[in-house]
Amino acid sequence: MKLDIDEYAHLQSPIHAWQPRYKLIGLGALMFAVAMVETLWLVPVVMGLTALLYGLSRLPWIYWLQRLRYPSFFLLGVILVLPLMSGETVLWQWGPLTLRQEGCWAVVLIVGRFLSIITLSLLLFGTAPFLQTVKAMRSLGLPTTLTDMLLLSYRYLYEIADQLLRMKQAMRLRGFGYAPTRRIPLIPQRRDLQVFASLAGTLLIRSYEQSERVYQAMRLRGYGHACSPLAARDRPRLDSWSAIATGLSLTLAIALVATEYWIGMKA
Amino acid sequence: MHLPDGLLSAPVCLGGYGLTGLATWYCLRQIQRDPDVSRNMPKASLLTAAFFVASSIHIPIPPTSVHLVLNGLLGTVLGYYAFPAILIGLLFQAVILGHGGMTVLGVNAVMMGVPALVAYQAFQLRRFWRWGSDRSRLGIFAFLAGALGLGLAALIFFVLVMTNIPAAMDAQAERTAIYGLTLAHIPLMLIEGGFTAMLVLFLHQVKPDLLGHHGTP
Repeated sequence: MKLDIDEYAHLQSPIHAWQPRYKLIGLGALMFAVAMVETLWLVPVVMGLTALLYGLSRLPWIYWLQRLRYPSFFLLGVILVLPLMSGETVLWQWGPLTLRQEGCWAVVLIVGRFLSIITLSLLLFGTAPFLQTVKAMRSLGLPTTLTDMLLLSYRYLYEIADQLLRMKQAMRLRGFGYAPTRRIPLIPQRRDLQVFASLAGTLLIRSYEQSERVYQAMRLRGYGHACSPLAARDRPRLDSWSAIATGLSLTLAIALVATEYWIGMKA
Repeated sequence: MHLPDGLLSAPVCLGGYGLTGLATWYCLRQIQRDPDVSRNMPKASLLTAAFFVASSIHIPIPPTSVHLVLNGLLGTVLGYYAFPAILIGLLFQAVILGHGGMTVLGVNAVMMGVPALVAYQAFQLRRFWRWGSDRSRLGIFAFLAGALGLGLAALIFFVLVMTNIPAAMDAQAERTAIYGLTLAHIPLMLIEGGFTAMLVLFLHQVKPDLLGHHGTP
């Protein structure tokens, strides 16, 4: 499991220089504007725009490709199913297979929006340390309980993932999965389920016990005694570049929504 | 089972954020009633991380394998902390793995989180059940919670997918597909329910504190 999302946060670029709090507002507005796109010819426009922003960020393209590996199963499903299932205008027919025009356009729309939004998400979380982004969320009004949970979970995610890896290795070394057993198709073995339940249970118990130690350490450092002035401190003064970038992205988002609305009215 | 970015229209995404805001507010209000929030918060956080990691365990089902959703189990173990935990887990999945997405985070949180809260309430019903031993009651209601968590999430998922595909589909075909796909999830509900029951019984035997009081860790 590749967990480090901010491995390129140290790079220098105009997107990296954009303050996280304002980047969250600007790119968030752009994401929702892209989600509103229903017109086909706007798809290349938003894709071009997000590609330009990605280029500006100087994040390597391999990072983009790596993050696209898991969602590509979804893309494959959409491409394979929609043109055959959805719509009425038949473009091509071969036996029971029918290619429909509306389904094809739906694929272009969904895939275009998907790629643009995922690229914007990568720009948001890949160009600043995760801690900074969470602090920015908190300064925008995310409840303290949620931000505390978010930071603590993120802090221990790597450690717990390592623990699971070690436990799985120990299971393999003790011969789990190697015994020649007759397996009935599509039915999991009761013993396998039991072993995996014990594995997950042990992971939960270890995490629970670790949380006791973490809580004691946090109490010793003053956690829970006074309100932290963190939120006020993390509200930085808006610098000129962040103001320009936020203004530009909000204008673009409004322009996209207005164009979509205008086209909808004309249709 | 996550709705990805780009599939739903912006009003649906915003509606999802609205409902998530409401559910989060309600859960945080219930959490604030907990006399020891500062003690339980680190526990809930570490368990959130553990659940995120545990959901990557693949159960071999010849000739393939499935990974479990565990939202029913989250409801069973974390109670009202389950909704914020799912919200955080989904954010990690969107950002780290590319499962789900930022615009659909609200919709996905409702899809996974509300069934988790229903599962928690279903698990609590065991207190009113008089028959059987403690252990069998625990197993039966944990099974119910696990199966219900996945079943409800699958139902919401298919309704959202079928009703939000941009190109028009025949309404009858849409209904048939929703029923068919939800019924096709019954074997997975049984596996998820069985796994949840086994895990809850394991926790009951080894670390009963983890099953908590009043649904809090």
